[in-house]
Amino acid sequence: MEGSDSYLIRPNYQHKFKPAVVKECIRETVKARLSEVQYDPDEVSELTRTLADSVKNKVKKLGFDRYKFVVQVTIGEQRGQGVKMSSRCLWDADTDNYAEDVFMNFVLCGGRVWKLFLLSSREYECGGG
Amino acid sequence: MSRVNKTPSLNCSSQQVVDWSRRLCCIFTNNTCVNVPRVKDDEMDEYHNEGSFNTEEADSIVKECIENVVGGDDYNQNLVNKWTSAIVERCLTQLVKLGKQYKFIVTCALMQKTGAGLHTANSCYWDTAMDVSSTVRWESRTMYCVVSVFAVAVA
Repeated sequence: MEGSDSYLIRPNYQHKFKPAVVKECIRETVKARLSEVQYDPDEVSELTRTLADSVKNKVKKLGFDRYKFVVQVTIGEQRGQGVKMSSRCLWDADTDNYAEDVFMNFVLCGGRVWKLFLLSSREYECGGG
Repeated sequence: MSRVNKTPSLNCSSQQVVDWSRRLCCIFTNNTCVNVPRVKDDEMDEYHNEGSFNTEEADSIVKECIENVVGGDDYNQNLVNKWTSAIVERCLTQLVKLGKQYKFIVTCALMQKTGAGLHTANSCYWDTAMDVSSTVRWESRTMYCVVSVFAVAVA
């Protein structure tokens, strides 16, 4: 079926996930939220959750249709400890990608390694049920 | 009489195809509008559960991988790089061996125990019926390990 948009299984070049754009988006969101914040054990868990949600909502607005997102935010206190984070993914390297950014504060290592993994979704192919 | 061999291509969306097929069903059933019978939700679940992802199985796989890699060791800054890579790669290969139709993301954080706090939060925009995530927290005398697994359905 030539020229039929509804049977795309790969995104067009214009619609492909752009890590740089998303990274900038993350950076702005986190900077705005965490710049003046100190580590408070009671509030930080709520802060992490709301930060993850707001990043996700911002990225949704960037207009990457046909993509699913996973956002992960990690916040830790700076006490001179060692931390190491790593990840591996099994995905379609042609369509899927990730963006991450790290924010550091004097006492609050918003070691926000937030990863945004976009995977193309094939719901349109199912022909509407 | 010449035949047109090429079928004309039709630009349409899948929603239009569904609408037209429903209308055709109506025409063939004497012009009464019939609701296309939908598979009930529990029947759909039975169909999907054959291939759906079991988080308990994933948890046990992840715990086993962590134990095998850092089971009896103390936090060592020189080795922590290798440890996190090994944990993550091992988890991924074990999950792939389950043979489910899923894409996987596995993340691992290893932190030394100094009394500092660490918080992780995830927010996902996906199909809540098919996609799942699970987080395993493990600790030893000198370190914490947090492994998150995200399974995103392909089909």
